[in-house]
Amino acid sequence: MAKQKQKELEEIRNKLKKLLVSSLSLENVKPEDIKDNEVLFGEGLGLDSLDAVEIVVLLQRNFGLEIKDMDQGRKIFYSINTLTEYIHENTKK
Amino acid sequence: MKKAEASRKIEAKRRGNALGFWFFKVSLRFFGLKGAYGLLYIVCVYYVLFDRTAVSGAAAYIKRRFPSHGFVKRLRHIYLLFVSQGKQLIDRYAIISGCEMFDIQIRGYEQIKSLVRNSHHGIILLTAHVGNWQAAMTVLKKLGKTVYLVMRPEDNPAVQSSLRISREQSHIKIISPEQDLGGIVEIMNKLKEKHIVSIMGDRRYGFKAVEVSFLGDKAWFPYGGFTIAAAAGCPIVVLLSEKVSAYKYIVDVSNVLYPCYVSGKDKHQQLQQWVQEFAALLEAHTHKHPYQYFLFHDVWTEEAKRAGEKP
Repeated sequence: MAKQKQKELEEIRNKLKKLLVSSLSLENVKPEDIKDNEVLFGEGLGLDSLDAVEIVVLLQRNFGLEIKDMDQGRKIFYSINTLTEYIHENTKK
Repeated sequence: MKKAEASRKIEAKRRGNALGFWFFKVSLRFFGLKGAYGLLYIVCVYYVLFDRTAVSGAAAYIKRRFPSHGFVKRLRHIYLLFVSQGKQLIDRYAIISGCEMFDIQIRGYEQIKSLVRNSHHGIILLTAHVGNWQAAMTVLKKLGKTVYLVMRPEDNPAVQSSLRISREQSHIKIISPEQDLGGIVEIMNKLKEKHIVSIMGDRRYGFKAVEVSFLGDKAWFPYGGFTIAAAAGCPIVVLLSEKVSAYKYIVDVSNVLYPCYVSGKDKHQQLQQWVQEFAALLEAHTHKHPYQYFLFHDVWTEEAKRAGEKP
């Protein structure tokens, strides 16, 4: 069961990294360069508020998920891992 | 609080206090609109002579708008710009308080009405520090939609209390760009709920800027509104207001842009092209009404230096 979850998380993580690189037009960044725990905004990957627009849309289009409010967004957008957890939790059948 | 931020707030407080606003309110009641305007001509002499920050803030725009004019003529233009802004502040109070009746016409009203009715998402109103945009907002009440203004809460308590931006006009709410992620989550949700979101197209508020040609020089304008519109799939309605006589305003919402990325083309270039279209509309407005563009920050150099900063 735990192995299955790990596999699903890994799949989401990889998909997310590819989507981030293509949607945000990150120059000189490959999906594998993004660390799972790296802070996405400000320090770390250095994304800004306009990149958040793309992530909001990316979550809607690719996973059918919506971010309801700012408090929720702040926690979810922290890193690849927090985004992955959120997607996994909310797309489980 | 950062030094620059603290200094901005002090300046904002210094430029108008409760007594000053009370004085103009009383003048408006006793002497009417034109009487209150008359007092402005004296008050603005003080600002031109002693408020260096205000004068240097306006100088960048005046220098580009009147490039062939010398120092004295430019100072006169700055004075007229201050008087014009003062008149529009008095008008704004008069409109909100109901002291005077203004004729406010909307150019492109049927179009915006149809957009509001038919758009799958909301719409973005792209405004600028042109004319009396706050008065324009009161007219949009007719659309029956809440307008969310993306702006910093007013720094000056006297201005806030005198103009009552969001208390009395319940159809106007403020989204602060100073919150986490620049208020993006809230903006996107409001657009999804088919509301109108109003964004300043000539003030960065933390959004990144792009280089465009404006009044014969390279300037930096934010592209946040266009990124949001392209992502949300909603149109951008440019809102420009003009005071055409003492008691008449025209609010122009006839220019509509539909930002949509073309795949394979450079995103940055596409954004630049859209922002340039907006800058061209703004420039045309300044040619028509040189004293109705209240741009008191330097978008040509100061902003350019900060363009690479991450918000």
